[in-house]
Amino acid sequence: MTILILMCAGAAVGLWLFPARWQKGNAKVQAGLTAVLIFCMGVSLGARPGFFEELASLGLKSLVLCGASILGSVALVYPLTQRFLVKRPGKGREEKK
Amino acid sequence: MILIAAVSLVLGVACGRWLFSPEAAQAVECLSEPALWLLMFSVGISVGGSREIFHKIRQYHVKVLLIPAGVVVGSCLAGALCARLCGLPLGAAMAVTGGLGWYSLAGAMVGELAGPEAGSVAFLSNLMREMASFALIPLLVKHLNPYTAIAPAAATSEDTTLPMMIKYTSGDVVLMSVVNGVICSAAAPLLMNLFCRLL
Repeated sequence: MTILILMCAGAAVGLWLFPARWQKGNAKVQAGLTAVLIFCMGVSLGARPGFFEELASLGLKSLVLCGASILGSVALVYPLTQRFLVKRPGKGREEKK
Repeated sequence: MILIAAVSLVLGVACGRWLFSPEAAQAVECLSEPALWLLMFSVGISVGGSREIFHKIRQYHVKVLLIPAGVVVGSCLAGALCARLCGLPLGAAMAVTGGLGWYSLAGAMVGELAGPEAGSVAFLSNLMREMASFALIPLLVKHLNPYTAIAPAAATSEDTTLPMMIKYTSGDVVLMSVVNGVICSAAAPLLMNLFCRLL
């Protein structure tokens, strides 16, 4: 809930208060905070006993979830776009390439 | 960004393994929650600042939501189906795929909400997704249709993979790619938070 509220508050600030010229600076702040968070995550991982032994299985799980998420996305987006976005030939309109 | 993320992760692991005492490691981990709050506020500012995109969304009406809807539902369903196979809790697996390719945020957020193991998987999985997109975009344009090429890119379709979309597709598709990226970028933190909390 806190995260949702903070994100909405940020969106409101971004929409009405935040000058566009400051967005680049905002992106740098995001990069810095992300680096801090990933560092903290790394510390947690490194402090776990047996982490290095778990590394191979972490890589495999990541590969499975990566492949599945791509397949799942393509499997839904393709029929939707074929039906509603791709213009077909033979009705006076060109098919998009 | 990928270099910064990789260096941060490696440094963190090295510090946790060899440098920090257990008490010091715990103290460092306390930094993560306030950092996440600030990050979410900053992400909100980015999303709110995308004013032209909101105009385009109104112009295209509901069709503009087709691609992000397919990406979100397809990714989350995939996470749900693969949870048992990967030995992860259902919520954690769906949060991983709910990262929608935003590897740096996914790793940080899922790590904070669901534990460091899930966070590492989220980081690696979404990083692989972004990298795979570069190879898949031209193939999907050739064998399926240009709009489907946006699907693997997910949240990265508005920035990192946008040059590929510009190279291999047309103006209309590039526009859809940017809109999809903005919507997926807004959805990813909400999805990860939802799945980690509810399931």
